[in-house]
Amino acid sequence: MVTLAPSIPSKRSGDTSSNNILRLGKPFRFVVLILVGAFFIVPIASSAKFSLQGNNGAYTISAYTQLFHTSDFWASLFLSLKVAIGTVFLTLLLLIPTVIWVHVKQPRLKRIFESVSLLPLVIPSVVVTLGVITSFHNLPNIIYGTPVILALEYVVLALPYSYRTFDSAVQSIDIKTLVDAGQSLGAGWIKLLLWALVPNLRAGILGASILTFAFSVGEFAVASLLSFNTFPVFLVLIGRTAASQAVALSLIALVFTWIPLAFVMIAFSGRSTRNRGATLNTAEVDA
Amino acid sequence: MTDTAATSSTLARSGVSVEIRGLSRYFKDVAALKSLSLKAEPGELIVLLGPSGCGKTTALRSLAGLERPDEGQIFIGSNDVTDLPAAKRSIGMVFQSYSLFPNMTAKVNVEFGLRVMGLKPKERTQRAAELLELVGLASLASRYPHELSGGQQQRVALARALAVRPQLLLLDEPLSALDAKVRSQLREEIRRIQLELGITTFFVTHDQEEALALADRIAVMHQGQLEQLDTPLAVYSRPATEFVAEFVGNVNRLKGTVIDAETVEVESVGKVAYSSSSGYRAGTRVDVLIRPESLGVVPATTDGCTVFARSFLGASLKLALRDKNGVAITVEVSVAEAASVATAEVVTLFSRGAALLVRPAS
Repeated sequence: MVTLAPSIPSKRSGDTSSNNILRLGKPFRFVVLILVGAFFIVPIASSAKFSLQGNNGAYTISAYTQLFHTSDFWASLFLSLKVAIGTVFLTLLLLIPTVIWVHVKQPRLKRIFESVSLLPLVIPSVVVTLGVITSFHNLPNIIYGTPVILALEYVVLALPYSYRTFDSAVQSIDIKTLVDAGQSLGAGWIKLLLWALVPNLRAGILGASILTFAFSVGEFAVASLLSFNTFPVFLVLIGRTAASQAVALSLIALVFTWIPLAFVMIAFSGRSTRNRGATLNTAEVDA
Repeated sequence: MTDTAATSSTLARSGVSVEIRGLSRYFKDVAALKSLSLKAEPGELIVLLGPSGCGKTTALRSLAGLERPDEGQIFIGSNDVTDLPAAKRSIGMVFQSYSLFPNMTAKVNVEFGLRVMGLKPKERTQRAAELLELVGLASLASRYPHELSGGQQQRVALARALAVRPQLLLLDEPLSALDAKVRSQLREEIRRIQLELGITTFFVTHDQEEALALADRIAVMHQGQLEQLDTPLAVYSRPATEFVAEFVGNVNRLKGTVIDAETVEVESVGKVAYSSSSGYRAGTRVDVLIRPESLGVVPATTDGCTVFARSFLGASLKLALRDKNGVAITVEVSVAEAASVATAEVVTLFSRGAALLVRPAS
């Protein structure tokens, strides 16, 4: 008996409009690329031009040199970097064992942890800050009144970004089986974490670190309310008196963020390309 | 593979006995294991066989120390390991899903357990090379898991499990993700290596063919309990329970009437021999469980069973029949015998072997 395949109705002309756009080919892709690139580059170029223009219209780098000679510039920059690095360190210390533990030992709690991690998005940071001020003013001086309190607060406020990024990385590997395999081979939790899990969660750790770092370096409201002169606070203050210096400062901030990010991304993509470079030779499959 | 005998001689060891006593495990109100007891002799390969949810994996994970039993004890050799964590049990385990560490090459994966033990790099390299040789993957030592096929990954996992010289090897459906051909090859490899090393092994599967081919003894499990622990031949030919008879191999369930202590009259078949300790009285209505290959067929003209499907299985022919009451019956005959009923529409059944089980009519 011959079975005939049912006829498949052809697509209506309206359905093919998206395909037509894709068929426009290389020139169209270049146009899109240029437009998107311009969207990012034009404001930055305009800012750079503004920061380099003196009062008489001539180009000068005085806005930058003045900034570099301001002691508050370096102090605020180092404070922000210190807080950001501390925040990343504390976040990873909290996040890595907790998320792994939830996935391996208490998968039922995953939903609860996800919901809790999103709370900082719905509670305004001003409310959180006021809560911290009223609740923790009795803490020892080593925490309250020092940048440590800022880092602790940023750990919580950056949680929606750091938790979800790391959680996705954990979900992308069969972590329970890897833990079981490691334990059956005699490994305790420390060796398991350092040798088997962390290297396989590198992308998630990196992503969470970058987002937390970027958040911490750029956060203004909490730092201002807690009277810390961080880089964004300094930027706002200087913007009130010298517009070109404020714009120059924004560009410097951009460079300071981009350079480390670019280094990290290049280093990471290089490693991952090496790891995935070779392909399976079909002749050797299950030889 | 080269020099396997020499390799295995450096790895050889004698197995230990493993005993499970009254093991129970509950997940909330559901009992995954109900007072399971069994003992494996040194060097024996026991297959835990059963349908999904029967508790076989829970039993294996309890043996591994990855699951903590609510009741009962586990002995490896003479040591009570019930409260020992997995890391201290001296076991090697291969999992159903590919469990190689993705950031490590095959060689480094095999070395993992040895590194945990604190062996020097030179010793680790030597042992890893021996094990990869044993599983036939010496040439792929520098490959990452994503550069290996499923079968190769499971071989590496086996080498990694054996590298730490475990007292007990546990295999949790290690072949279920592989295609049929690779599965059959790897099954033979596992058995060969297990016999060479003489390591006591538990192998979990839901595949009866795999169990029959591999096991020294099969532990058939159902609803958290052990239904039967016996050799493959005994499990197949002398099942202890209806569940075992129906789960291991194919079986026909037919109505019959007891004639005497050794014979039962089965509808559509005729007289069939049976043995039972139940002592049925003559005239008792019973259900008779009989294997397809214990039935024979001859062509008939009118009064018989109707053939409604034929399946050629290579060495045999499977016939799907319906008797005059509409009861479905399966018969398996050799190819030579099949010629006589190749075109028959109606056949008569006869018995060529004893009934597996006789039970009171349901």
